[in-house]
Amino acid sequence: MYSVIVVPPRGTGSDDQIRLSAGERLAFGRSETGNGLAIAHEGVSRIAGEITAHRAFWILSNLSQGQTYVVENPEGAGEHIKVAPGRLDAPVSFEFSRVVLPAAGELLSFDVWAPRHTYRSATRPGLSGATTAQAFSLDRTKRYFAVLAALCEPRLRGAPHAPPPTVDQLVERLRHTWPAANRSSVYWNIDYLAVKLRLRPAPETAEPGPRLYGKKESLVSLALRFDLVREDDLVVLAAVPSEVAR
Amino acid sequence: MNGRSYAVPVPKGYRVGLWEVREPLASGAFGSVYAARRVDDGGETEAGAAEETAADGGAGPLPRHAALKFLPTGTRTPRQLHHLRELAHREQELLKRLRSPRLIRMYEALTVDDPQHPELDGATVLVLERAEGSLAALLDRSATPESGPALLAQICEGLHQLHHAGWVHGDLKPANVLLMKDGSARLADFNLAAEMEGTHAYAPAFSTPDYTPPELLWSEISERGQQIRPTADIWAFGVLAHLVLTGAFPLPGGTTEARCDAAVRYARGAEELRLSSGLPPDWREIITGCLASTHEERAARYPDTASLLRRVEQVAGTTRSPRLPRLRPRRWLRPALATGLAAAVLALAATVTYAMRDDGPTYGYHRCPFRSVCFFSEEFGMGEMCSWKGDDADWLSGEETCMWTRDRPVKSIFNNGDESMGLAGVAYYRGRDFTPVGEDITRKNSRNRTGCTAQRAQGNLTGTYAPLSHRWIEHCGDGASD
Repeated sequence: MYSVIVVPPRGTGSDDQIRLSAGERLAFGRSETGNGLAIAHEGVSRIAGEITAHRAFWILSNLSQGQTYVVENPEGAGEHIKVAPGRLDAPVSFEFSRVVLPAAGELLSFDVWAPRHTYRSATRPGLSGATTAQAFSLDRTKRYFAVLAALCEPRLRGAPHAPPPTVDQLVERLRHTWPAANRSSVYWNIDYLAVKLRLRPAPETAEPGPRLYGKKESLVSLALRFDLVREDDLVVLAAVPSEVAR
Repeated sequence: MNGRSYAVPVPKGYRVGLWEVREPLASGAFGSVYAARRVDDGGETEAGAAEETAADGGAGPLPRHAALKFLPTGTRTPRQLHHLRELAHREQELLKRLRSPRLIRMYEALTVDDPQHPELDGATVLVLERAEGSLAALLDRSATPESGPALLAQICEGLHQLHHAGWVHGDLKPANVLLMKDGSARLADFNLAAEMEGTHAYAPAFSTPDYTPPELLWSEISERGQQIRPTADIWAFGVLAHLVLTGAFPLPGGTTEARCDAAVRYARGAEELRLSSGLPPDWREIITGCLASTHEERAARYPDTASLLRRVEQVAGTTRSPRLPRLRPRRWLRPALATGLAAAVLALAATVTYAMRDDGPTYGYHRCPFRSVCFFSEEFGMGEMCSWKGDDADWLSGEETCMWTRDRPVKSIFNNGDESMGLAGVAYYRGRDFTPVGEDITRKNSRNRTGCTAQRAQGNLTGTYAPLSHRWIEHCGDGASD
């Protein structure tokens, strides 16, 4: 029932993602008090700030004395918000965020995901009462959607039993629209999709075998079963002409 | 999903089977409902020829007026509306098999065969009992209708009938409660209904958030869908009862998202349930029980829907509904159909198709569909049955499963194939992916399989093992069976 996931910075000793339910708070800072997120760096305030999951988004309080925090949208082409010192409950509307803390000349960061952002269709006329909604809401402009589309492409193009593409094939397929794609970023997006679609781990994952294959396979089955990706969605894979002919 | 509407525009006067479409009645998330009247000219229909799929002998005489529900299952958009076909199938299946006074009645199911209208061609049309309106429309006119308690008792009775027959509604809300001419209520819209398999049912991953219990709001979803239990309907009933009696949702918030957020905080124990002060004490007790924050608490409070119904009828002051006959005697009553349904629903992009039979036999070898191989949990084709048209590399996972074999052996088998398939035998293996396990590895037949059954052969199996995979092969080799 969590709605926000905090991913601690690498090399801080804690690799565990912290899942926050609506209303739950997570303090971050140098001191390791309680269940907070410890950022062991001299340049970070003892209690540097607080993250609160609020509905499907989250709010950030900057509790530092004089440092402005920046929340970047890594997929947003430089899109960011600044949170001034002392600012409480600043809402963050990005699905993916990187919280950047300046600390004695260095920039420290950790990630926060908000995979429960909801998208619903506009109310249609002549329809009374609450609408039945699908349990998934995907942002079609995000890279994970392109990855999902690429995963489903062989089957959508008419090969119903085709195995999902390999990660290398995915990298190659996505390169037109996402030149920086590489194996690890594609892996990352596959893992994120499993979180986003709340994929129940298959019962056989405990056994030896190609685990990632199972995950890709499950994502494709789920996506096609519920029409999360359709044939006309494959346009997200189409190359956008980078130069206009003169 | 994301602004895609599945409304089906049907021109007035359009003919489907014996029915002429009149004015639109409603449009929901999955299709559109139109008023229709029966035309008994017996002549050729100009447009909208339809083939009947219901094959339901017990439907009785058709009424003069009905409601036609169009579900856009056509083939105009290949591979695109897979889940709609599944949802249409669920509703049709439930209505075909259940007939209870508090559930809307289906007279027949038709498929539009009209290449002239590609947007309608292939659509599924359910011919349903015509209602006067919905509870949602009634609540729009009067937030707390005087008939509220009596309607709630009838809605609860409908839920009881559904649960008693082994189904979960999955989308109980005012728009899905229809009111008949005499003012009585009936449950409708079974697109999300799911038949119980043991303690759970698998429902498609749709819901109406305001009526969804907190444990399902952001629950895990497997390839088969979302696991739901009857207590999900109990929660929805609690929300609906609060709405009908007080005009407001039980959880605070001005938007659906805010109320879901409140539901999650309540389930976490971070917030208490504060029901409207206008609620009579008896109803407060009922609704508090329905809105217990976990499945376990709800199940403990109301072990079955009958106990909830008794209490609701007591408080509503209505007469007690008659005790229902046992509809679902034992788990093996309709396993063939249950397995077939689950498999058909899951036959994603697979070549297998399952023959659905309305009133086929419920025991014995002869329930095995034509051109299928069937495995039974008891000797002589008795007990539970799993059937396949094709191969399956893993019985316990994947798109088709045969879960009873997890802890029970296969006792008999029937290869109901025919010559047209070109594959005369079915070989089965104790390992996944057609591999041998245990003593089969050194088995003398040198084929390392557990067994093989030839075309049209049926019989009991010795041993206490369950295969995990099987495939069709050209022939079993020497002898009919090994």
